Amino acid sequence: MRTSILAAWAVAATAVALPAQADKLDDIIASGTLRCAVVLDFPPMGSRDAQNNPIGFDVDYCSDLAAALGVTAEVVETTFPERIPALMSGSVDVAVASTSDTLERAKTVGFTIPYYSFENAVVANEKVEMSNWEGMKGKVVGATAGTYEAIWLEGKVKEWGEGEFRPYQNQADVFLALSQGQLDATVSTVEVAEANVKSGNFPGIKIVDKAPMVPDYVALITLREEYGLINYMNLFINQQVRTGRYAELYKKWVGEGEPADLTVKGVYR
Amino acid sequence: MFNYNFRWAQALNSLPQMLEGALVTMEIAILSMAVGIVVAIFLTVFRLSGQRVLAAVATIWVEVARNTPALFQIYMVHFGLGSFGIHLSPYLSLLIGITFNNAGYLAENFRGALKAIPDTQTRAARSLGMSAGQAFANVVMPQMLRISFLPMTNQMVWAILMTSLGAVVAMNTDLYGVTSDLNARTFRTFELFAIAAVIFYLITKAITLAARLLAARLFRY
Repeated sequence: MRTSILAAWAVAATAVALPAQADKLDDIIASGTLRCAVVLDFPPMGSRDAQNNPIGFDVDYCSDLAAALGVTAEVVETTFPERIPALMSGSVDVAVASTSDTLERAKTVGFTIPYYSFENAVVANEKVEMSNWEGMKGKVVGATAGTYEAIWLEGKVKEWGEGEFRPYQNQADVFLALSQGQLDATVSTVEVAEANVKSGNFPGIKIVDKAPMVPDYVALITLREEYGLINYMNLFINQQVRTGRYAELYKKWVGEGEPADLTVKGVYR
Repeated sequence: MFNYNFRWAQALNSLPQMLEGALVTMEIAILSMAVGIVVAIFLTVFRLSGQRVLAAVATIWVEVARNTPALFQIYMVHFGLGSFGIHLSPYLSLLIGITFNNAGYLAENFRGALKAIPDTQTRAARSLGMSAGQAFANVVMPQMLRISFLPMTNQMVWAILMTSLGAVVAMNTDLYGVTSDLNARTFRTFELFAIAAVIFYLITKAITLAARLLAARLFRY
């Protein structure tokens, strides 16, 4: 008799304990705040305005996601390498931070479908003779450490077996080194390349060519096991495109023209 | 809440690469110490020489090396000289930056050590017919190096740790550079940097132990 009562209690206790396993999606809705990691020295995706407020494509994208969830958005500034520790330590829920969706990284974090796509340009020092991207062979080249284009360029230098690759810590140092002539060429997103050539902060540089790499698709990231949230965000990205909000944000932050196609022909997601 | 499952397999696969990076780190630290000690001896002699210009050079060197961040010194070697058209590779920039820092600190250590050696020894050496140079090289300097041996070990440990600053000048073959490169690829931040920290710890611990053993052998009275 006593054992069966105990057993009944045990069963009841388990039944109560199990549904308490809320996932991240529930946690966000319950807490009323969506905390996004955004990189704010990466215009036009993330930067600060004159009043020091975070602005940019990624900032707006975070606000839209929060609005869809019915919660308030909170932007947490991180650098590119800090995105992951911020996510893992639970100080942010998602990273809206132009994260390239490589297979290597997908072993660690959970990626959504792409929400933006970059094209990259080859920028060279004016004193260097270079007519197309292949001119980088055998030269001293560099890029911002940890980015998609840096990984691509380092691979190319290894493949060529000549020249040197240098990963600088931030975009500004790359262009400083390029302007001084320490680097012969770099690869950066077209947006950054054009902004830096136009600004005149880095004299003596020129855009040479498009870099012939697979478009740099970037995705939202969260913890690898948060399928509920990833699922929700996939639908959210789809809706952003469907409703025209994606094109609107592109026009607001990047400029006139068609935003990049986020689908790949001939294959499902 | 710390919401993370440690998965070591992927990070441990890159251990051979990280150990290669550790070798580069040790190479830079050893070179920077070897050159740093020689330069520091010269700086010490400059300050003792009584020549105003030489003494000023030594003082400025020591002041800048000791009172500005090593990060700044390394950055200036690369980008500062770069703006004058002197382009050094990341490896050389890091090596020169750390050597500059080492020499400044060691010169100050040597000055302290000299204070512990009575003047009478120099006078005794001179009265035995040694020149000023001979007295310094044969009598004073060996004692100076002995007294400052443990501070030198400290500086060696610093040199090892300072190599991680090479990242600001795009150094990517040392232990820190290799680790952050792997991190960008795999996002296994905690695992990779934990392994790097252990390697750093083991290197510096080995250095302090070796120095202690060496000191026990060399400095028996």
